[in-house]
Amino acid sequence: MTPETAEDLPLSGFTVLELGEGVAAPYCGKLLADYGADVIKVEPLEGDPARRHGPFPDDTTGAGLPHPEKSALFLYLNTNKKGVTLDFSTASGARLLRRLVEEVDVLVENQPPGRLEELALSYRELAHVNPRLLMISVKPFGEGLYGRWKATNLTSFASGGQMYLTGDPDREPLVSAGYQAEYQAGLNAFAATLAALLGLAVMEIGQHVEISAMECQACVLENHPPDYAYRPSDALSRQRGSVNPVLTLEEALTSPQMKARCYFQEVDHPLAGRWVYPGPPFRLTGGPPSDGGWGWRAGRAPLLGEHNEEVFGELLDLARSDLVRLRAAGVV
Amino acid sequence: MYRLPLSGIRVLDLTMGWAGPYAGRLLGDMGAEVIKIESARNWDVTRSLHLLGRDEEKGYNRSGYFNHLNRNKLGCALDLAHPQGREQFLKLVALSDAVMEDYSDDVADDPGLSDNVLRQARPDVILVTISAHAKDGPVAGISVAAALCAALLYRRRTGHGRWVEVAQRESLASLIGEFFVGFSMNGRQPPLLGNRHRSMAPHGCYPCAGPSEAGWLAVAVASDAEFAALCRIMGRPDLTADARFADVVSRYRHQDELDEAISAWTRGKTSREAAMVLQEAGVAASPVASVADLMEDPHLRARGFFEKTAHPEAGVWDTEGVPWRLSLTPAHVRLSAPCFGEHNDYVLRHLLGLSAEEVAELERQGVTG
Repeated sequence: MTPETAEDLPLSGFTVLELGEGVAAPYCGKLLADYGADVIKVEPLEGDPARRHGPFPDDTTGAGLPHPEKSALFLYLNTNKKGVTLDFSTASGARLLRRLVEEVDVLVENQPPGRLEELALSYRELAHVNPRLLMISVKPFGEGLYGRWKATNLTSFASGGQMYLTGDPDREPLVSAGYQAEYQAGLNAFAATLAALLGLAVMEIGQHVEISAMECQACVLENHPPDYAYRPSDALSRQRGSVNPVLTLEEALTSPQMKARCYFQEVDHPLAGRWVYPGPPFRLTGGPPSDGGWGWRAGRAPLLGEHNEEVFGELLDLARSDLVRLRAAGVV
Repeated sequence: MYRLPLSGIRVLDLTMGWAGPYAGRLLGDMGAEVIKIESARNWDVTRSLHLLGRDEEKGYNRSGYFNHLNRNKLGCALDLAHPQGREQFLKLVALSDAVMEDYSDDVADDPGLSDNVLRQARPDVILVTISAHAKDGPVAGISVAAALCAALLYRRRTGHGRWVEVAQRESLASLIGEFFVGFSMNGRQPPLLGNRHRSMAPHGCYPCAGPSEAGWLAVAVASDAEFAALCRIMGRPDLTADARFADVVSRYRHQDELDEAISAWTRGKTSREAAMVLQEAGVAASPVASVADLMEDPHLRARGFFEKTAHPEAGVWDTEGVPWRLSLTPAHVRLSAPCFGEHNDYVLRHLLGLSAEEVAELERQGVTG
């Protein structure tokens, strides 16, 4: 079911650099990679913070103890990527990052607002390095009045309007399980990246794409703005309902329909073990047999820094001794 | 003409409800020419969901639901169950890049309009099928739009059209993937946490002052520094010295008391005031925005998120702009949602080259009404 090579996948041939942490940009990067793009994920030396969030597999005591290579959240969100570590807040690290930017079609990031600008790694500066670059910035609010506001999934779900519509009408509004605001922003970023890649053929020049999680949510509300504009009373919008999936996880995993469609797939990982992962959100059938039948591939997440030598050594042509120096300086 | 990423791409949109139409809207936002095809026998259900009285004249052109989900599209009335309608449709497929449908029982499984028949009309056409489940929410529509773009990229490289299949349940399961991986690890459903978090505390939703019951504030505190800032803003520096709240672990254990202290402060502030002062101090906080709040939100307004949209029959109203902000090719609401059959002339006469007599004949036979 899963191909060895990615030549026939829908996004084969595209290269992506991901400066993603947590959920939003990593989910975008995961989808790009699962559908065939060559995605290089840049992590800080201590790793993507998602590595510290569970769930983790139980140890012999029956407790899921944290381990940076065993986080279900990280394992799921980073399938099929190459992983490198790089501290691009150092001058040497930023230089290496610029060299990586030269090599890629797309840069996806959800760095804290303002951070890349402070490091002279804004779109404007990176476009000098690579004029065809598509840079996708996934932010909680986007540039503007709240541009530098902090956000977590909870506050993002609140600011986009979804939380107000969720929960029991007699109680306080409720956030849905998981990271819905961030996932939805990542999904929008993925679709926008593909549209922008199609546009690249027309434009012949790259551009910057900004995704605001707040705006993405405001577009898909049940009691949407035009409805409100039609009849400006919030009688409707005070109603709340649940957006949580009704099936239990076990029911979904054992659902005959999901089984018949082979939706869930086992993926092995050298340290985390062999677990079940959800499959593709959409399938492209009718392709050549070598594309896995769905235009999609299962795969595993990278170990921390697993592809440092491959990416810095082979792609950027750094000598092994240079890599040793960079390691010693705490850059890689 | 102004160039957009999908300029020159023509999509025939046979979908109805929420997911498919939202996908068509996103593709239309990005510049595709999306032609929504309906018939009087089988029009989009959202045309009937509106807040106007049922006896309102042509209420089907004024549904807020429909007009919200179908902007940036053209509208053509064509009965695909009629042999004449089918014939014109296949001629249109020959001129189009993709067909989106979500009534598989009627279309994809119908021997009259299968993948093969569409492919005879246009060998490299992309057919997007949304499973019945996908008729529910617009979020699945984002996956549909992405799927169609992925198929277009594939076709550009290889020349081959693909059959794209989106099952809503699968595209939504993808948004909670870590729960499945976690369940396969430990065989446990995670506990329901409500507004609380596995590690952050305080983490919740607090009642605020305001004209109605509408005011709520969401606050998430991730570190000692953020907690100290929260206490300072609340005028309760004593809390940081309190052993019950001195570190992450103790705060987690004493969340109920902490929530009481925070609520006591938020009750005296509007949610927006409270969010502003907390954000200035570096604490993640946001009003729990209602639709009304969003419509007047100063951040969204300053970004020009809402655009005035004039609809020939429904009037002028504010609608959300395009959620994907492309720096070189910014997209806007170019077209309000089509009235039923509004662009029949463009499709039948201009694209298909029918004469006025032929169009009149189709209308007499009830194919285009």
